[in-house]
Amino acid sequence: MKRITAYSLRAVLYFILIAPLLLFAAYAFSTRWFFPQPFPVEWTTITFLRAINDSRTLSSMAQGIWIAILVSVLSLMLALPAARVQGLREFRGRQLAWLLLFLPTIIPPLAIGMGLNILFLRIGLAGTIAGVVLAHIIPTLPYTIFTLSSAFARFDENYEFQALALGASPWQIFLKVTLRMMTPSLVVATLFAFLISWSQYLLTLLIGGGQIITLPILLFSAASGGNPSTIATLSLLFVAPPVMVIAFTARSLSQHDNEIREQY
Amino acid sequence: MRDKLIFSPWLSLAPALTIVFVLLGASLLYAITESLGFVRVIGQSKISLDAYRNTLDLNSEFWTSLEFSLWISIVSTFISSAIALLLAVWLSEQRGKTDTLALNWNLAFPHLVWSVALLLFLSQSGLFSRWAASLGLISTTADFPVLVRDRFGIGIILSYIGKEIPFLTITILSVLRSQSVGYDVVAENLGASRWQRLRYVTIPQVMPALIAGALLVFGFIFSSYEVPALLGVGYPRALPVLALRFFLDPDLRARSEGMVISLIITLIVMIVAVVSLRMGERKE
Amino acid sequence: MTTVNIISLNKTYPNQPVPVLKDFSLSINDGEMIALLGPSGSGKSTLLKLITGIERPDSGDIQFDGSSILSIDPNKRGAVLMFQQSYLFPFLNVEDNIGFGLKVQGASAETIRGEVKRMLNLIGLPGIERRKSGQLSGGEQQRVALARALVTNPKLLLLDEPLSSLDTSVRMNLQEAIRNIQRELGVTTIFVTHDLGEAMAMSDRMALLLNGEIVALDKPENLFHRPRSLTAAKFMGVSTFLSGDQLTVKNEACSSSEKIFAIRPEHIRIQKEACKNSMLGVVSDCVFRGEYIEYQVDVNDVTVRARMPMPAPMFPHGEQVRVNFPQEHLFEVN
Repeated sequence: MKRITAYSLRAVLYFILIAPLLLFAAYAFSTRWFFPQPFPVEWTTITFLRAINDSRTLSSMAQGIWIAILVSVLSLMLALPAARVQGLREFRGRQLAWLLLFLPTIIPPLAIGMGLNILFLRIGLAGTIAGVVLAHIIPTLPYTIFTLSSAFARFDENYEFQALALGASPWQIFLKVTLRMMTPSLVVATLFAFLISWSQYLLTLLIGGGQIITLPILLFSAASGGNPSTIATLSLLFVAPPVMVIAFTARSLSQHDNEIREQY
Repeated sequence: MRDKLIFSPWLSLAPALTIVFVLLGASLLYAITESLGFVRVIGQSKISLDAYRNTLDLNSEFWTSLEFSLWISIVSTFISSAIALLLAVWLSEQRGKTDTLALNWNLAFPHLVWSVALLLFLSQSGLFSRWAASLGLISTTADFPVLVRDRFGIGIILSYIGKEIPFLTITILSVLRSQSVGYDVVAENLGASRWQRLRYVTIPQVMPALIAGALLVFGFIFSSYEVPALLGVGYPRALPVLALRFFLDPDLRARSEGMVISLIITLIVMIVAVVSLRMGERKE
Repeated sequence: MTTVNIISLNKTYPNQPVPVLKDFSLSINDGEMIALLGPSGSGKSTLLKLITGIERPDSGDIQFDGSSILSIDPNKRGAVLMFQQSYLFPFLNVEDNIGFGLKVQGASAETIRGEVKRMLNLIGLPGIERRKSGQLSGGEQQRVALARALVTNPKLLLLDEPLSSLDTSVRMNLQEAIRNIQRELGVTTIFVTHDLGEAMAMSDRMALLLNGEIVALDKPENLFHRPRSLTAAKFMGVSTFLSGDQLTVKNEACSSSEKIFAIRPEHIRIQKEACKNSMLGVVSDCVFRGEYIEYQVDVNDVTVRARMPMPAPMFPHGEQVRVNFPQEHLFEVN
């Protein structure tokens, strides 16, 4: 009896977790599914292909990917030195630095976006890729720094000293030892920076100002009054990268990452 | 070596801190000046508290929206916490890591997508409505209860619950798993029943983490825009929706009011965050 | 190959009141293995960090073959460090780990392969090139780490407690191996340890360190048998100190109470008969240790510890005995 309860509870849990995907697939790959038919009657890929080949969809995806790549590379470059000292050093003001670095997770994106909107309009960054990238760095940076700094906290500097004593130059040490030892965390940090940027709606809307259209923007406007199969197709495209990333990194996700993921 | 590879800590922190500081500082500065009426575009450059007065006027929509936002935030937080607690306790008694992995799966669906899914499930022409009709429970779409885009924010609340339960469950679960099973065994050995163990051993253990997590969730829900914008109705609107509509209003004077509301949201969220951080510290 | 001169080094870490090294000087001969023995916090590891360049001294100089190395970049000094942990790079196999130093110097793949092979033979682990560090035992890891350190022909080898995380048997084995390899290559070596036996077994000379200063520097056997100072004697396991007026030394009654004499515990005799230089005491503890019996005898409010090699009489707790300090084993300390 107890086993059965456990199994059915788990079945419900797992079903809820995959139900959205099934639903999107049902809407995206069917046609003439009218009320009150409980299930699609006619399966087709035409609607899906049409939505995918739409130039707006394609360009929004390209733009989103391009922005997300820039954002992850930049956050990584900004985060590496900061994460290193936060993870490895004790110094006066370390707590203060944490607080400052984590402010972006506390201040709502709404407030940040509205303020940046005015700032960027004034300095000509509004409606540009550069502006959107800068804005996206705000929510990604704390995440990247946190992931990398907890990796640095587990990192033993003696590996670097060892390499140094063996004659490696600082640059060789960085490339051949430090980066190699950090690779798993670097991958996780990069992937999640990518995802945070990829799924950013509000900041893109406020900074992009209708000029920078990414997939979430398309999806949002479709969901406010489009037809279900378009909505479902866009949703499928939208979740494809996250689904792949989660499947790929599931095992390396730790509890601490969870706390920041709330933003995502 | 130290000076070669690492520099001073502040030098290494400088790039990240500068970005955060400049962007956040500037955006907050602009928000505050705009809320005080410095809307450069319309040439107003006098300090005025008009926007604050208008916003906080007892007849303004602000109060309805505040009430609505508090309602959805509190109800969502409360329900998710309760279910997450039960789920976590149940899962902690199960073996294997598969469940945690399954919970992480939820990350693949940003709030926006999850809301879209709810829309397709629960709207009057959605999947559940079709199922009800084919079972003969309803005959037209209008017979299906309004669950999304409804007056009470049921759709919004459901959407948040769906996203926050996994989040809180993972939070609680990690506390439960990090604690040794010892306490539970000791309590059992001392004669505590299953429910007594839950009440006196398990719940006190996870409470600080749960409260900290719940406050985080509250702050997030209270300040986020997409879900209420997508699943809400024209009236009452959630505070962030109201703020953004005012901000994007062609009437530039409304912008100041949008800023005022966004600042109030920020203030509330920051207070909640500070409390949450305090709770989190006490846990350690 | 290399003589090392350490001249008047001073080092104080920021935010710490006491200096880690105080006017520290030490000269090491070419090919010599010198052991630094001292409790934690005595400045041993700091000295190694200063030599490798991980830290900089506040003042003083370090010279290899008469020329200062302080202005040389840490990676060009030729002072290779080996730690308590092997710090083999986990993402490289044994061959690439050993070859690391040659590779960063730009050696050809062929040279590296040859040198790695030579080193693996030297450490007695031929043919393990392809293994990862995780597949090696603790002792093997340290051997590979030693090979990695030596492959670049360093001017100076620094060993920072390289054996202290290993089991006793592996440890004995490696002590011997390190000693042999060091002699064979003739590389000047500084060996840091807090284990007296290890220091004595491995070194040509031993330096005793306390609070950033050398309290004694000599060959192990000299330090063991005739430490000159009270501190050095305590370091070497001597716990019995007697003032001169209690004893007869060299047949002359040395009545001066200012002189202090010490004796190693294994030279003290516990017996029933009275004789010269013996005192009356009561056995407070007697432990059978197999190779010897360990006594604690209360003599005039002082507890004397003695080790009587087997065979030896066993006196029970509370027994009145004579504690004999044979004069040929007494030595003066100051």
